[in-house]
Amino acid sequence: MSDFILEATNISKRFGGLVAVKEASISVKRGDIVGLIGPNGAGKTTFFNMLSGFMPADTGEIFFKGKKINGMRPSNICKLGMTRTFQIVKPFPELTVLENVMIGAFNTTSSTTDAKKIAMEVLNLVGYASYADMSAGSLTVAGRKRVEVAKALATKPELMLLDEVLAGLTPTEMWSMIDVLGKVRDQGVTVLIVEHVMAVIMNLCDQVFVLNYGEKIAEGTPAEVSENPKVLEAYLGDDYGKPASGAN
Amino acid sequence: MLTVYLQALISGLLIGGVFSLIAVGLTLTFGVMKIKNFAHGDFLIVGMYFAFFCHLLLGIDPYLSALLGIPLFFGLGWIIQNYLINPVLSAPETIKILITVGISLCLQNIAVFLFSPDFQRVQVEYGTATFDLFGASVSITRLIATSIAVFIVVALYIFLMKTSIGRAIRACAEERDGALAVGVNVDRIYLIALGIATSCVCIAGALMTPFYTISPTVGVSFTLTAFVVVVLGGLGNLKGALVGGFIIGVVESFGEILMPEAALKQVATFAIFILILLFRPNGLFGTKLA
Amino acid sequence: MGRSVGFAIYGVIGLICIGLPFFAESDVVVAVMPPGLSGSTLLHIGILIFLFGYLATSWNVLGGFCGQLSLGHAAFFAIGAYTSSLLYIHFGLTPWVGMLAGAAVAAVVGYGLGYVSFKYGLKGPFFALVTIAFAEILRLLMLYWDFTGGPLGLLIPLTEDSWSDMQFMAKEPYYYMAFGLMIFGILATAKIGSSRFGYYLRAIRESEEAAEALGIHSMRNKMHAAAISAAMTALGGTFYAQYTQYIVPDDVVKIALSIEIILFAVIGGSGLVMGPVVGAFILVPIGEMTRVIFSTAATGVSFVALVNSDIPAVEKFAKYLDYLASGGGGGLALLLYGAILIFVCLVMPRGVLPALKSLQSWGKKS
Ligand SMILES: Nc1ncnc2c1ncn2[C@@H]1O[C@H](COP(=O)(O)OP(=O)(O)OP(=O)(O)O)[C@@H](O)[C@H]1O
Ligand SMILES: [Mg+2]
Repeated sequence: MSDFILEATNISKRFGGLVAVKEASISVKRGDIVGLIGPNGAGKTTFFNMLSGFMPADTGEIFFKGKKINGMRPSNICKLGMTRTFQIVKPFPELTVLENVMIGAFNTTSSTTDAKKIAMEVLNLVGYASYADMSAGSLTVAGRKRVEVAKALATKPELMLLDEVLAGLTPTEMWSMIDVLGKVRDQGVTVLIVEHVMAVIMNLCDQVFVLNYGEKIAEGTPAEVSENPKVLEAYLGDDYGKPASGAN
Repeated sequence: MLTVYLQALISGLLIGGVFSLIAVGLTLTFGVMKIKNFAHGDFLIVGMYFAFFCHLLLGIDPYLSALLGIPLFFGLGWIIQNYLINPVLSAPETIKILITVGISLCLQNIAVFLFSPDFQRVQVEYGTATFDLFGASVSITRLIATSIAVFIVVALYIFLMKTSIGRAIRACAEERDGALAVGVNVDRIYLIALGIATSCVCIAGALMTPFYTISPTVGVSFTLTAFVVVVLGGLGNLKGALVGGFIIGVVESFGEILMPEAALKQVATFAIFILILLFRPNGLFGTKLA
Repeated sequence: MGRSVGFAIYGVIGLICIGLPFFAESDVVVAVMPPGLSGSTLLHIGILIFLFGYLATSWNVLGGFCGQLSLGHAAFFAIGAYTSSLLYIHFGLTPWVGMLAGAAVAAVVGYGLGYVSFKYGLKGPFFALVTIAFAEILRLLMLYWDFTGGPLGLLIPLTEDSWSDMQFMAKEPYYYMAFGLMIFGILATAKIGSSRFGYYLRAIRESEEAAEALGIHSMRNKMHAAAISAAMTALGGTFYAQYTQYIVPDDVVKIALSIEIILFAVIGGSGLVMGPVVGAFILVPIGEMTRVIFSTAATGVSFVALVNSDIPAVEKFAKYLDYLASGGGGGLALLLYGAILIFVCLVMPRGVLPALKSLQSWGKKS
């Protein structure tokens, strides 16, 4: 078995006349935190949608843990060990925070008691246990993002796809979320993260892929990528260099 | 044999316009307020009983009642939108549906209470008049109903395209927040929209009275028909509703002659409905209003 | 604290229900209740409350927990009623077994209906429309088919009191059976609600995509919910057939029945275990009371006859007022239900039960 937990080769997605992702490839090493960056509309979320089974890829192949997952439904991909969060968070609003996380926990147990236990552990990990009985619909943005991560984490994934979990947070909230991500990595979970906040990518990621207009234009360590002229060009006139697009 | 098919085609076209008029009201509600009105068909009986009593008590011809009733029909829609629908616009989808189910129950049972569940007819001399067309018979009352219906749909279309209120209605359908931002009084537009929608159904009801029996529950199956027409024509699409009405009218009457058993006619209709709902969720003509 | 108060209230009401047959005809009840509402009428109302409470509870699995708005549950009710009755009439099979057969048929049909609808991505109003159309097709077929007795329906051959034939002269056995059915429904949905399956259904209701992302096969779970809900509803159908001993399509598959079922659930509080039962306990007595009151006052004036009569207008109008005062052409119970549904949608969209609960906790706080 290769040491890549996820390999996608030449995957594309077209919406009518618009090619949102064009023959992009990516490989993610087990245990890494890998960044996926690119300007707004570059196709990052679409890329995630294909990896996680929410949209079929028009071309290319996706392998997770050596198994081809093209055409599998999201729930089965999750069962295999890959979970995602949504950029536009999708809490279960009528349920409590604890119940939200329990839904994720049921991925590995059928007992309600166990699910509750797992969910509490995860909530402790993300530092949100005190909100367990709040209804998820009544949370702030930061709270919802945290619950989004907690739900995904509770499925006990081997690979997590995180779509802009830091956008819209205040700096304090952001740093505590970054802290959470570190803990997630320490648990041995591989992370593929879409983020606009460059500081995070620089500090946290082992490897970075850059998309622009649906095409992969660079990959490498954060240092390499940040010096890549193509990347600089893609971001010129955009918000490159500012700390965060959504955080200020 | 050929005349049988011709007859089916003609019968389908003759009811098709009425379907269109009913469906146009529903598609407007759908497109503008995003409300799925399960009481839509039940407004039919408002028009029907109105025409019935105008004829019975005052001797007014049903076609005239269809015209005279418009303020009443429009006002009814206005009031219902104002007091019942507008308050739940931001409620969950299920509540929005259920409140219309409640309205449907009320309309039907007010009619049962006031006018009893028995069938009624409006007896006009020309009620059964027909003429011959290539061996198929054409009912004059149905022809009139369908013609007037098409006329109203076209007039409504022009109204939506050319007048300022029409443009405001379309703006609300496309982009509610945008319309709000440029100063459109969205709540008021909604009142007008449901007023128009109910007027369409009620007028259809009045137009049908010369050839259709009246009872408190006749609306139910028209709700279903209207939904199918709207789904077929594209949610919120006016032209789609116009064309869809005729398609459904014809498909239904062909389904009926192809069904070996007369008793199973309606089964064919419902089966077609289910198939359309399953296979045509995006409609034939797209989902833009007008 | 709040919980135990709730349990206590349910317990007391449960005990009253169990005891009712023993004092339904006592002088106290006769004196307290409106005229005509004692003895077997009271038991009949009790039976309707339990049956509708149970049916609404069954609907709740699909419509409440899972959020898939079925407006055609009468179809499953009819499948239960017809399956067991046909098996009994033709093969002498005891309704106790026929009941299970009916449930099995309904489960298969519910599963199939779910499969077709959910496969094509039908949601909300469109799923509701398909269920209505399906129920209407079933009604038309039952009117047409010979083996279902067509419009005349099925008459269950009378025997003497017999547990094995599920037939009784008196109301009491039916009363307790209906009560048992309702308790079964409550326990079953409570069990489902606290299980993984129940959590899955609620997750699907709130966001199907989020549920899928967390490993929930939304399609399969929705189909299971449809099958279970259909099977439970069918059990109620068999009970109804045995209770009335006569079933016709226009009674058991009518749209009004489907709507009544969801009314009780939604008004009580859909998605909650006790919501549908609370709804039935509130609404059925209101509806039956209306029927009883107006049926005793009925003057027998026919609207059509009145309209066509040749008496002077003033007299006609006076007679018409009499006609209305005596309940008109009927429909008042359903009219009330409709008005209450609208009221609930506007004022307490989660239903009466949650409203009562928040009232209680609010009372405690202040
Ligand atoms: N379902 C869809 N139908 C049509 N076009 C879509 C759809 N989803 C995305 N797009 C288009 O595809 C392009 C890529 O969108 P995507 O959401 O993947 O970008 P992104 O990199 O995630 O951007 P952002 O940083 O803003 O989240 C955009 O132009 C978007 O408008
Ligand atoms: Mg994105």
